[in-house]
Amino acid sequence: MFQSLRRVSGRLVFVLPIALGGGLVSPVFAGQGAEDESRFLSRIRRLTVEGKRAGEGYFSPDGKEMVFQSEREPGNPFFQIYLLSMETGDVRRVSPGHGKTTCAFISARNGDVLFASTHLDPRSLELQREEIEFRESGQERRYEWDYDSHMDVFVERRSDGELVRLTDARGYDAEGSWSPDGEWIVFTSMRGMFEDELSERETRLAEIDPSYFGEIWTMRADGSEQRRLTHVPGYDGGPFYFPDGSRIIWRRFSEGGLVADIWSMNPDGSDQRRLTDFGAMSWAPYVHPSLQYVLFASNKLGFSNFEVYMVDVAGEKEPVRITTTDGFDGLPVPTPDGTGLAWTSTRHGGEGGQIYLADWDHEAALAALRLAPARNQPTETPQ
Amino acid sequence: MSRRQTLTVVSLSLALFLTLPAAGQTPEELRDDVLALTGPGTEGRAVGTPGAAAARRYLISELEAAGARPLPGQDGLGIPFRFISGVEDRGSSLRAGGHKRFGSDQVKAFAFSETGEVRGELYFVGYGIRVPENAGVTYDSYAGHDVRDKVVVVLRYFPDDVEDETRSVLNRHADFRSKASAARDQGAAGMVVITGPGSEGAGELAPDAFDISVPGSQGILAVSIDGAAGGRLFAGTGVSLAEVQRSLDAGEVDAGSFPLPGFATLAVDLERTPASGANVVGILPAADGSLDPPYVAVGAHYDHLGMGGGGSLNPHGPPAVHPGADDNASGTAAVLALARTVADSPLARPVLVGFWSGEESGLLGSRAFIRNDIRPDRLAAYINLDMVGRLEENRLIVQAMGSSSVWPGIVERANVPGGFDLALSDDPYLPTDSSAFNSESVPTLNLFTGTHTDYHRPSDTADKLNYEGLARIARFTGLVARRVAESDPVPEFVQVERAPETATSRVSLRAYTGTIPEYATEIEGLLLGGVMAGGPAETAGLRKGDVIVEFAGTPVLNIYDYMNALEAARIGEPLTVVFLRDGERHEVTLVPTARP
Repeated sequence: MFQSLRRVSGRLVFVLPIALGGGLVSPVFAGQGAEDESRFLSRIRRLTVEGKRAGEGYFSPDGKEMVFQSEREPGNPFFQIYLLSMETGDVRRVSPGHGKTTCAFISARNGDVLFASTHLDPRSLELQREEIEFRESGQERRYEWDYDSHMDVFVERRSDGELVRLTDARGYDAEGSWSPDGEWIVFTSMRGMFEDELSERETRLAEIDPSYFGEIWTMRADGSEQRRLTHVPGYDGGPFYFPDGSRIIWRRFSEGGLVADIWSMNPDGSDQRRLTDFGAMSWAPYVHPSLQYVLFASNKLGFSNFEVYMVDVAGEKEPVRITTTDGFDGLPVPTPDGTGLAWTSTRHGGEGGQIYLADWDHEAALAALRLAPARNQPTETPQ
Repeated sequence: MSRRQTLTVVSLSLALFLTLPAAGQTPEELRDDVLALTGPGTEGRAVGTPGAAAARRYLISELEAAGARPLPGQDGLGIPFRFISGVEDRGSSLRAGGHKRFGSDQVKAFAFSETGEVRGELYFVGYGIRVPENAGVTYDSYAGHDVRDKVVVVLRYFPDDVEDETRSVLNRHADFRSKASAARDQGAAGMVVITGPGSEGAGELAPDAFDISVPGSQGILAVSIDGAAGGRLFAGTGVSLAEVQRSLDAGEVDAGSFPLPGFATLAVDLERTPASGANVVGILPAADGSLDPPYVAVGAHYDHLGMGGGGSLNPHGPPAVHPGADDNASGTAAVLALARTVADSPLARPVLVGFWSGEESGLLGSRAFIRNDIRPDRLAAYINLDMVGRLEENRLIVQAMGSSSVWPGIVERANVPGGFDLALSDDPYLPTDSSAFNSESVPTLNLFTGTHTDYHRPSDTADKLNYEGLARIARFTGLVARRVAESDPVPEFVQVERAPETATSRVSLRAYTGTIPEYATEIEGLLLGGVMAGGPAETAGLRKGDVIVEFAGTPVLNIYDYMNALEAARIGEPLTVVFLRDGERHEVTLVPTARP
């Protein structure tokens, strides 16, 4: 069943609800009562409008910029990376314009913008045309996101506007983000698919599901010292440093790829701890600047019904649901000052996700976390 | 860094709209303008009245104070336009065969009739309906009948006992104007309408229905006659009108068209009453001092319903001032605020500020302006504000996004500091002044905070507006205008295909449900902005926020589906409404009533 669903992006491996249920409607007035999202979110506003879809918006440390991905270039049916001024609303494309890109992040040290791109693939323009023709044919693709092995991590240097390539391994390198001091990058790589010795079963898997080989890696800001942190079968991805740099948060899929949970570890890969045991696809974690809780997305309420949740940073309690509006809600990212929350949603009822921003009630979040029941299983360390 | 500190050390990203240049007017200043526009002496600002003139004087003096100049070729900021304010039937008559002459007690001209006198044989053509070929239903009262130079006699309404889908199509072609057009197109010399013995209000004359926005004639003499006169026309045919109507209602189109005995003389004497109103238009210079077009145009209608009248939803109450605080003192005040802001910090292009009159009567002022007073290509774009004073849950509706490819990008950028939960729709065919500009290929945008139960009622008062929201909307409009001014070349116009059947008249809708549709059309279904107190929808248990997805067995994807589904509704006959509330499907039974 999962194989027939659409995967949309690497860090986001989400299943777009509109691909499944044409009948999903977003009532503007969500249900009242204790569970309503208005207890945490107020003054909801839509940040992106242009183009078919947008998502993965991440703030600069001063909150004055957001980098995001959006499908909005004429002739390119894939994401490109854009930098938005939160002060003026000006938007500038950062990525080259052709090929596929994903998962950008702004450095706290110098504003350098990190993202993954396939633009060096000589076939990238051809692939754009093929995708457009494929869409026009009305067929349904098994995977919209194919973990393109040409995907590599690049940085746009703010000082001179140069685009610098940081990874060149064969295999998908993407889903990168900076450490708070801008010295390190944590990212996802599927290079093991090409570099490791594969069993017969793994050889078969490499053909149908490259994400099985996704592991968390770190490297220095200049691309040196590339080092693998995880070694567990199944897709490890979507890593971010904690806001104080003390640990890394990421999501780990089960081998079968249907269940994922939120984990954290030290920046050297030690002390891997599981924060959720939610029996669902829980992913896209991001630590709140208070360091007290983690925001993430999960389809706990139904296979195609993603909502934003939060869980205490130690994972001692059950997660608390945040969003209550119909449609997809995921990829939560708090503002650097902790008073706002940006996320990707289809609540407008349109075709693709767009980025929304709301005021975030941190005190209400803490209160709700205090009341959350204890997690039924203790935190565990694998192996 | 302590956990606490992280929350405070980083600069605030959320209060950014406060730091923007040209922060604009305060909520208090906007309230002052709304109070001036709804205050003593303005009396509802109906087009052509002293109340509208008082509001206009205020707007002209405020715009002049901001340094606005007259449009080149105009003497001042006020630009008058003429319209027909009404029609008087000075005595219409029908003489038929050997019968006596039926006078004005039994014969009443339609407001859209030609004036004059015609003679011709009488010819009955049933309900007088011709459905266009592609409408999915075949119905032609004229098929096989030659009515050239004859006076046709038709029944009011449409056959009753047909299936719902057919009803809904027939209904769209059954209003008086459509029937007059059909008769005219068949070469008839005149049209006589009878409310048949089997119809609601049997034998009644047609009600007054002067449409101030389309005051001209339909190109044919057209009257309604009472039942007694109607019955006499059938004397000597051997059949009664009641029998004929019964077979027509059973769906037998052919049964109902045949010549009537005798020769008729039909005379109509209508006088159309000329009147005048005035728009207010000023130009604010660009940052470099230029007054040269293209202009960025921003506008709002300042007129409202006066003491009530045809547009009021409180038609049975005594005449009362309809203050129209939301509709549209709110938009007028926001545009005035924007004008003052632009005067202080001008844009890259000059700004044309327009305050239109006669909107409530059918876009009279804006239509006259775009047709007579300016070349459309002198406008880079037109941004309209109509009912923007009731911001709720931070939700701003932005319509006509499809009229230019620049809008998504501009609206996105303006809303980053603007900070609204946007409800967007592409459709530029709106019941407000922006439509007049869209018709002349000008890119348009319309801002709207939604309808409400005070809409077109004396209770649309200034104390109910959200002035903080209104000030934010004025600032947002300024940011959109700024980006339009910086667009080079000017935004290109995109012709949006008109959704089918929206142009047809709804005047013949007879069943009433008491729903108040919301205009946020990205939502699949029909979102209710409210329900009328005591109306069938409220009685059925529907309420604001419900999304109707099926009505009387017809799927509802948008407001057009809903309007069409409504046409199949019949007074007193229960129907099923399927709706979503908090994402869950519910069903209720609704019983339409006659329109109150």
